[in-house]
Amino acid sequence: MSTPEGVTISRTGETGAFGGELLSVNFGPHHPSTHGVLRLIVDLDGEQVRSVKPVIGYLHTGIEKQMEALRWQQGVVVTDRHDYLSPPINNLAYALAVEWLLGIDVPPRAKALRVIMSELTRLSSHLVWMGTSGLELGAMSMLMYCFRERDTILDMNEEISGFRMHTSYIRPGGVMADATPRFLEMLDAFVRAMPGHVDEYEDLLTMNPIWRSRTIGIGKLSADDAKVLGATGPMLRGSGVAWDLRKAIPYSGYENYDFDVATSDLCDCYGRYLVRIKEMREAVKILRQALDKLPDGPVNVDDRKILPPPREELETSMEAVIHHFKLFTEGYSVPAGDVYVAVESGRGENGCYVVSDGTHKPRRVKFRSASFVNLQALERMALNHMIADLIAIIGTADAVLGDVDR
Amino acid sequence: MIADNLVVERGVSAGDAWITVDPANLRSALSALKDDGYRLLVFLTCVDHLLDASRNWPARYELVYELRNMETPEHLRVRAFIDGDPPRVESVHDLFPPANWEERETYDMFGVKFTGHPDLTRILMPDDWVGYPLRRDYPVGGEVVEFSEEHETWQTAPEKA
Repeated sequence: MSTPEGVTISRTGETGAFGGELLSVNFGPHHPSTHGVLRLIVDLDGEQVRSVKPVIGYLHTGIEKQMEALRWQQGVVVTDRHDYLSPPINNLAYALAVEWLLGIDVPPRAKALRVIMSELTRLSSHLVWMGTSGLELGAMSMLMYCFRERDTILDMNEEISGFRMHTSYIRPGGVMADATPRFLEMLDAFVRAMPGHVDEYEDLLTMNPIWRSRTIGIGKLSADDAKVLGATGPMLRGSGVAWDLRKAIPYSGYENYDFDVATSDLCDCYGRYLVRIKEMREAVKILRQALDKLPDGPVNVDDRKILPPPREELETSMEAVIHHFKLFTEGYSVPAGDVYVAVESGRGENGCYVVSDGTHKPRRVKFRSASFVNLQALERMALNHMIADLIAIIGTADAVLGDVDR
Repeated sequence: MIADNLVVERGVSAGDAWITVDPANLRSALSALKDDGYRLLVFLTCVDHLLDASRNWPARYELVYELRNMETPEHLRVRAFIDGDPPRVESVHDLFPPANWEERETYDMFGVKFTGHPDLTRILMPDDWVGYPLRRDYPVGGEVVEFSEEHETWQTAPEKA
């Protein structure tokens, strides 16, 4: 009997529905449920998964190499593009790392705006996750509801930075521009409306019998396994470990906000779903506090060696012209040394390890991406499940392939 | 506590504590630190110090292991300097499971051979790729651009890399 293309009979086992014969099947890279281009080599016994081997690299764009060729202030634009669902959070990790090396601290208003953008991004990232995962598991209408609110967030991104997705809003030394009054109005309206929308999502999914039967008991990952495999974010918290970098190692003033770390002891796909729902509610809580206590003042450090002078100064001050010229021809140099800064993104720990050799370009920038590490836990979760459940497991692992391959 | 005879140098860089160990002792040092509570390997990477004048580097490649104790939560960066062609170091994938893919990535990008790794193959670049892209002597734009009119004239990666 001839075997269809792409399917090979790999080896013979002991037992199983088909007399122990295992089928090696290529799952992806162009499968709609793989959230990008993830290829899995799955060994199947009938419909049961006996081994999963992820093959990655299809979205590798050499971001770390590009960073070495760009000046410090230019690198921000590239950081947007590795985890393309949470650009401001990536900006924040890089900006904090460069600021640590320079030894500067940004003004309080910049810190609050950074928190606002981070939480908006976390919401939009969870909304994309919920919409697409719902679509994969049979809750078709989720996508419409989730993308409705995500569009509001993208409108806000456009209002504050001029760009809907790759905002490059958070930069070393502060933020791109101050929030406009219209942005604050939009944010206020959004924060008022969002809790009701989260209730809507819960109405659609939490007690939905199809959703529950597709996710409860699927993709078990015990707390010990999650810790050993280095999982972070909702993967770790969905296994009952209350670890959140915003609480454990606070950055950008997160210690001043009152919020809970969402956890679930279910350790399965449904637990990870509950964690994300809870995180959305907590994000709205943080946004409300940040908006109410938004301090006045500048949004950038007052250092002409790092950020350009305002436009009007250029017409009257020779010194401003020199600073402007130096910044846009040579850039600034950062003292030699290395630093690692980790921030909590929608997927877990997104870190940035920066090495400076004292010149105006980084010697090395390494992105520690949550998706790359979390994806290694896939085999542990998927073993002995049906192949249809693999979709749910990949979905709730929420790997962004741009982040995996960088 | 990690034995003092394993530590070559220690210091603090921009607020982060670090130690340098001899590459021959790297595995025993990491194993001792794991017993001390540094159970999570946050990331593992390599830095190429080719023509880096910022200080007198002991060797060209610097391996960096960032460890975290999730109880306290303390960080410790472990460095080891290695040379050689290819540079070799012992794998720690069995001590820290996340190191499995990180070591493959470091091999893929820098050509560092991790002895004892079960499947040390390229992970991000295609399997038949020549050269190690994140080495400093590997030029940006040095790869063949397929479907380009200048295809024939483009240089491939330098043989030395």
